[in-house]
Amino acid sequence: MNRGMKLKRHSFLSNQECQVIHDSSCRLLEEVGVAATSEKAIDLFQKKGAVYEQGRVKIPKNMVEDALEKTAKEITLHGQHSKDNIRLNPEDPLVYYGTGGQALNVLYYHDGEFEKKSAGTQDLIDILRICENLENVDFITRPVEPDVPEEKMDLEKTRIFLENTSKHVNLANLIKLDKLPEIIEAVKDKSRISFISCVLVSPMNLVSDTVEKFMDIVKEDIAVSISSCPQGGSTAPLSEVGEIIQVNAELLSAVVLANLVRPGAKVLYRGIPITSNLYADASPRWCQPESIRRIAVITDMTYFYKIPCCGTAAVSDEKEPNPQTVAEKTLSWVFESASGAQFINSAVGMLEQVLTVSPEQYIIDNQVISRIKELFSQSPDYDLAEIAQKAVHDALNMFDVNLDSQMKQDISNRIEFILSPKEEYTPEYAGSQVDTISKAIQSGRSSNKFMKASRAGLRKGWLYKGMRLEGQMNLDEVLRIKKQILGWDR
Amino acid sequence: MSDFFEEIKRNIIAGKVDQEDEGFDGDLAGKPGVIELVNQAVDENVSPTDILNKALTPGMEEVGRKYEEGEYTIADMLASAECVSEATNILKPLLLKEDVQSKGKFIMATVEGDLHDIGKNIVSTILQGSGYEVEDLGTSVKADKIVNKLKETNANFVGLSALLTTTMERMGEIIELMEKEGVRDQATVCIGGAPTSEDFAKKIGADVYAKDAFDALGKLEKTAG
Repeated sequence: MNRGMKLKRHSFLSNQECQVIHDSSCRLLEEVGVAATSEKAIDLFQKKGAVYEQGRVKIPKNMVEDALEKTAKEITLHGQHSKDNIRLNPEDPLVYYGTGGQALNVLYYHDGEFEKKSAGTQDLIDILRICENLENVDFITRPVEPDVPEEKMDLEKTRIFLENTSKHVNLANLIKLDKLPEIIEAVKDKSRISFISCVLVSPMNLVSDTVEKFMDIVKEDIAVSISSCPQGGSTAPLSEVGEIIQVNAELLSAVVLANLVRPGAKVLYRGIPITSNLYADASPRWCQPESIRRIAVITDMTYFYKIPCCGTAAVSDEKEPNPQTVAEKTLSWVFESASGAQFINSAVGMLEQVLTVSPEQYIIDNQVISRIKELFSQSPDYDLAEIAQKAVHDALNMFDVNLDSQMKQDISNRIEFILSPKEEYTPEYAGSQVDTISKAIQSGRSSNKFMKASRAGLRKGWLYKGMRLEGQMNLDEVLRIKKQILGWDR
Repeated sequence: MSDFFEEIKRNIIAGKVDQEDEGFDGDLAGKPGVIELVNQAVDENVSPTDILNKALTPGMEEVGRKYEEGEYTIADMLASAECVSEATNILKPLLLKEDVQSKGKFIMATVEGDLHDIGKNIVSTILQGSGYEVEDLGTSVKADKIVNKLKETNANFVGLSALLTTTMERMGEIIELMEKEGVRDQATVCIGGAPTSEDFAKKIGADVYAKDAFDALGKLEKTAG
C-alpha cells in the first residue's frame, strides 16, 4: 500500500484574503526587508535586483513573484522502497505524517512513572526501530541527535538512519557545511534525504551560517523545508493577521534566495506561527487553540502559491503523556490534516514544546492517527467541528480516560476557538499590522514592542484560556507494543 | 504635588510610557505618559527621591500585585517596567546627587551564535524596573566582549541567555574566561533560557539559574540577603 492520506481540504482563508497577506508581505519585504550578514547571500540578492541598505536586504515584489513562479511545484521524496515514497504536490495533495525534533530529553516509562534522561545515540536507534514498525509514521525527521562530537554528528546520524529505517529520512539540520558531500556519497540517492533549514529568526533575520548551509543544500538539488517559527506576542505581532504577514514575508525571502541559487529549487514552505505564553513566562504555546488555528491557516498560503507545504502538528506543550497531551495533539492533527498540509513534521512523539520525546508517545500517537484516518475516510464530506470532537473523544476513550462534562465543554470550546476568526483580513487592517512590524523592527527591541502591542489583543481574548484535562491513562497496550518492538521494557 | 505622584503612578499602572503610547486598552494615545510627566515634575523641582518613593515604587508594587492576582499578564508587567526604567533614566543623575544607589549593575547578553532575545529583553526590562542598572550587550555576544565590559564597568552581575542547545555551552566558556581573567569573583553569574536548568548552572559553575524574570528577581533578593 502506498503512503499518504487523501482528503477534502478545508480552507480557512479565501483567495482574496490570501492576496491581502501576499501583498502585505511583499510590502514588508520591499520596505523593511530582511536583516542579513552573509556576504554570499547579500551578493546574490543584490546581483538579481534586491537593494541592500543598513544591513537589510529589501526585495522587490517582482523578484518574489518570479521566484514563486520558478519554485518546484512537485517534489518526490524517496524511501528505501518505492512504496515508501512521498509525493508532494498541491494540485493533488496527500497528507503524510512524520517525526520531528532535536529533542534534548527522552522519557521512559518505568514502574508506573515517566523518567526523563538526556537523549543520545541509543535513544535515536530505539526511536527509529519503533517508528519503523508504526504504520502512520510516513517519514522520519531526526528526533534526537547522537551523542558524538559535533564534527562527527552529520555522518554518524546519516549512518544510523540508513541502518535503522527504510522510510524517507529528513536529517533536519546540517551541522557542518563541509560534510554535505560525504552525506550525499553515503546516501547515493539525493531524494532519499531532505533537510529543514531554520534559516530565519523572527522578526525578519536571515541567519548567516544557516543561510550558507541552506544555499549549499539547494545547489545540490536536495529538498529542504524553509522553516520560520515566530511567537505571536514576542517575536511577531500577537495579531493573527500580523503574524501571518510576517511569517509569510520571512519564508518568501528564503524562497527568493533558493531560486536565485537554483531556479526550480525544491523548497517546502513551512510556516509555524505559534504564540507566546503571555499569561505566564512568554514560553512558546505550540498546541493551544490559537496556535493550532494559525498553523492551519498558513497552509492556505501554500495552496495560493501552489507550492509544496511542510506542515507542523502535535508538538504538545505537556511534559509527559496524559489526557491533555492526547487531546491537544488530536486537535492539532485533525486541523492540520484538514488544512491540507502535506509533509506534516513533528507530528509524532513530541512533548514539552520540542524539548522531549518518548517511545510511549510515538506509539500512542500512531494509534490516535489511525483513528483520525478512519474518521476522515468514513466521512469524506466531513463537518470539521464534528470530526474534531469525535476524534478527541475517541482518542481519549482508547486509553480509558473518563471524560466528564467540564472536560467535554473545554474540548468544544477549543474547537470553536480554532474555527472562529478573531480579526478581519482587510487591506487596511493588514496595512496597520505591517506598520506595527516595521516600527518594532526599527526600535531595535522588537520583542518588547510586540509584547507591549499585544496588551489590547490579550484583553480581547486572542490567547485561549481554558482548563487542562486531568486523569489517568491506561497504557497497557502501548507498553505491550513497545516491548514487542524493542524486546525489553525499560 | 501629590497630583504628580498619582498621575505618574496611574500611568505606570497603565504601562503608558509616553504620549504616543496607546496604553493597555489601545485608546490612551495623545495624553502625556510617564516620560512627559516625570520631566515636568523635575522641571517643577519635585524631589527625585520623592518621585522614586511616592510614584515609581508604589506604582510598580501595584502592578506586581495585579500580576500576582492574575489580573495582569507579563505584557502589562513589561510595559510598566519599561515606564519605570525610562523614568529612572531621567532621574538617575539627580538621584546620584542625592546619593541614592541602584541595587547593582548587570552586564546582560545572549551568548555567541544565538540571536534570540525575548527572554533577555524581558529580564533586562523587569530588572531595570526593579532598581537594577542594566547594560544590555545584545545578541550573539562573544565571551571576550562580555569579560572586557565587566572589567570596564565594575558590574557586579553577569546575565547570560541562550535558547539553543548548540549555544548554551558558550555560557561555561564565558565563566572560564572570567576565571582566567581574574574577574570571576567580581560578579554573580545568572543564567537562563529554555534549554538551561539548575543542573546545567551547577555543571558550568554559574551562581544563579532563573526560569524567568520573576524567578530571577526573587533569587537576586535572596542573594542580596
